[in-house]
Amino acid sequence: MGAGAVVAAGSGCGRVQDHGAEARRWLGKPTAPRLAETLTGPTATELDAVSHAINRLTFGVRPGDHARVAAMGVEAFIEEQLAPRELADGMCERVIRHEFDSLADPAGTLFPRKGDASDPLQQLFPAMKDRGARVSHLYEFKDKVLLDELTRATVLRAVLSERQLYEVMVQFWTDHFNIDPSKAEAKWLKAADDRDVIRAHALGNFRELLRASAVSPAMLWYLDGRVNRRVKPADKPNENYARELLELHTLGVHGGYTQQDVMDVARCLTGWTVRDKKKFFKGRVEFRAGEHDDGAKRVLGVEIPAGLGARDLDRVLEIVVAHPSTAKHVAGKLCRRFIADEPPEAAVTATAAAFVRSGGDIPATLRALFATEEFWIPAGRGRKFKRPFHFVVSALRATNAATDATKPLVDYLVRLGHAPFRYATPDGYPEAASHWQSSLLWRWNFASALAANGIKGTSIAAENLRAQLGGDEALMATVLGRVPSAVERGAYHESGVGLALLLASPAFQHC
Amino acid sequence: MPSPQAVISGNGDERRALVVIFLRGAADGLALVPPVTDEHYYRARPRLGRAAKEGVKLDDRFGLHPKLQPLEEAWREGELAIVHACGTEDQTRSHFEAQDLMEHGGVVAGGWLGRYLQTRPVESRGALACVAVGKALPECLLGAPAVTVMQSLEEFSIGGRTPAFGTQLERLYAMERGQLGAAARATFSALVRIEAMRTTQYRPEHGAIYGRDEFSNGLSQLARLIKADVGLEAASIDLPGWDSHFAQQGQVEGLAGKLAGGLAALRKDLGARMATTTVVVMTEFGRTVEENSAFGTDHGRGSTMFVLGGGVHGGRMHGAWRGLAPEGLERRGVLEGYGDLPVLNNYRNVLASVLARHATGFGATETASVFPGFEVKPMAIFG
Repeated sequence: MGAGAVVAAGSGCGRVQDHGAEARRWLGKPTAPRLAETLTGPTATELDAVSHAINRLTFGVRPGDHARVAAMGVEAFIEEQLAPRELADGMCERVIRHEFDSLADPAGTLFPRKGDASDPLQQLFPAMKDRGARVSHLYEFKDKVLLDELTRATVLRAVLSERQLYEVMVQFWTDHFNIDPSKAEAKWLKAADDRDVIRAHALGNFRELLRASAVSPAMLWYLDGRVNRRVKPADKPNENYARELLELHTLGVHGGYTQQDVMDVARCLTGWTVRDKKKFFKGRVEFRAGEHDDGAKRVLGVEIPAGLGARDLDRVLEIVVAHPSTAKHVAGKLCRRFIADEPPEAAVTATAAAFVRSGGDIPATLRALFATEEFWIPAGRGRKFKRPFHFVVSALRATNAATDATKPLVDYLVRLGHAPFRYATPDGYPEAASHWQSSLLWRWNFASALAANGIKGTSIAAENLRAQLGGDEALMATVLGRVPSAVERGAYHESGVGLALLLASPAFQHC
Repeated sequence: MPSPQAVISGNGDERRALVVIFLRGAADGLALVPPVTDEHYYRARPRLGRAAKEGVKLDDRFGLHPKLQPLEEAWREGELAIVHACGTEDQTRSHFEAQDLMEHGGVVAGGWLGRYLQTRPVESRGALACVAVGKALPECLLGAPAVTVMQSLEEFSIGGRTPAFGTQLERLYAMERGQLGAAARATFSALVRIEAMRTTQYRPEHGAIYGRDEFSNGLSQLARLIKADVGLEAASIDLPGWDSHFAQQGQVEGLAGKLAGGLAALRKDLGARMATTTVVVMTEFGRTVEENSAFGTDHGRGSTMFVLGGGVHGGRMHGAWRGLAPEGLERRGVLEGYGDLPVLNNYRNVLASVLARHATGFGATETASVFPGFEVKPMAIFG
């Protein structure tokens, strides 16, 4: 039995383990953002425009938000959120920088550190060993740690960031360009995709976002683009990415493309691949002319002449982005996210028109969406069922919770079926309420546990909050975004655990 | 709109539950189900092979490890099927890689059991439709609509020590119409049953006795959930520790005892409910045919799978078998000596048969969506 076998024996059994315990710990305790000196809640009996805007543009209201937005005006708030770079976000950035240094690694170094003697972690290992580290930490488990960190960072940003609409759009595009990191090398590369594709362009330009996604190493792995090649004339292209590009990322399933279009798009993209982890510059994307099908193609009625080589890619993206179905498809999804599961046609049309007019500028498109009458109709307010991630984060925000977003919290998202980066198929987590209504039990349990400070690593100061707001009535109005109904008020008091009841109530499941 | 009853009982009147047990660390199939009449077996395992003779005789080729004796009854009554020389087509001998590949169902995103649950109708996705016993989500359940990871039912509690929380919540949700109201009513009804379970001492039925080990305890929790009709469709539980490189006899005895004891207790406890329950036991790969100098075995290829439950075409071995004569083995690189037990029966072909039993109308399309990129030929495990 060789040394290798010993390593395997030591770490092989019972492989499913508690990775949360391995995640880096906070230096000191997680702190909640500081609240304003005086807090006033909403006073209307129905959701006013301020509460509605906060509900839809953010992952939930924080105490004090209503007064702040009311003072600046809803329009100014929307503009503020559409320009995230100009919004100071110091606390969130500090937390992320401090907690998750690995997420800033260039893509290539997110690979396992196995066998690389110059790697600092390898050199440090003897010292780490004395403090309980195991060989396995250097090897196979590193990918789980990376996914843990990415998940935690995603939750923390949603909870802490002032750039709320940006975080909402990060989630939107993460679903739109979904990648399940559990597929092969995507486990190392999704962290880079999150940073260099989704976050880089979430409130940028759609065409640039699409371009970045098309050559994202994680996407090339996830949808098999890396093995889409033509070396011999008989080689058939791998159509996986081409099909999802048309069906999910751009035109939409009934967007008017044919099987011939899928095949020709796949041919255009042959030769784009990602270097394997075993070679130098692993994880780097490159175009191999020798694996490219350089013949003439025809995509959605547009001729692509032979001999363009790597430039085929940009021609294809130009053609699909310009197709009217793409504007309609993207606008439809945005309206489902921000207006209703079945959005009114007029809103989709107006949003799609802005998408076309602005050349795929995402803030301009959203600005048009938020300007539609349909977005504001009072009957639609508070009627959108929050997806579980939104529910959990909004509860943390409403209570001004301090959280480290470690396993005990993430476990609730797993139970609710909505933990980040865990969706297998390329269509991303569904939006419609019907997918999310059978797991109420865990929403109620979460509300109850949060209010009772029963989630390790997460804490709230309910009494302080209530006192600071000026009593039960203001607390209820702050959490619900409006004055509670008589039934809600009664239930709040009679339950004995008013805050838990509010968070578990039907009203709080909606936005 | 799903009816409240459908949400509670998951797959409705069928009430079928699938329990997947993963033996982590690569279980030695040739110790668990030894080919007792094959002379090559004793030649390759002059010391470890001795125990095989004391076990239960299954048929004219195979026996059961002595500590698996509690499974004999299920075998005799035709509720236990065994597939030998079983595993994955992939050649990896890394535990991690092999477990991931097998739990994902190949080089594919998400887990096979998760993808299976995605094929199920929305109304069968109750809060407790899928439970993983343990501390973390196993890879096979990645992509499931919703999974509850739990170690014990004692973890469940609604509103802690304040029953008024539930009462008042029920009052608020009673005013909700449509799908949300229906889902809430179904949840409250399931809650009543969970609370009853949580607050009473569990008494296994039909004289079943579970061991005190973690694995048996996990199985008893699952039996409770199955019997309580809370809509459990699929459950996963691990029995780790099978990586027997060194002096394996005691190690395998202990684990085999836990496995068989737990399974026998579960079967007895569930009684008639076994008719709608299936238990699948799998491992990432098998071990070397030949014993090593340290009285252990190293990483090999084929191992065994067990399928226990109602409707199983049991009491017999399934799948291909070529014996342990050297010419029938798979070469281990350029090394001298014995080869490995080849994988003659792909694990997917076993699982596909199980899934077809559990979901009505689970045809070729559904099979392909659970196991993409592999030509599945379901074995006749049920029938």
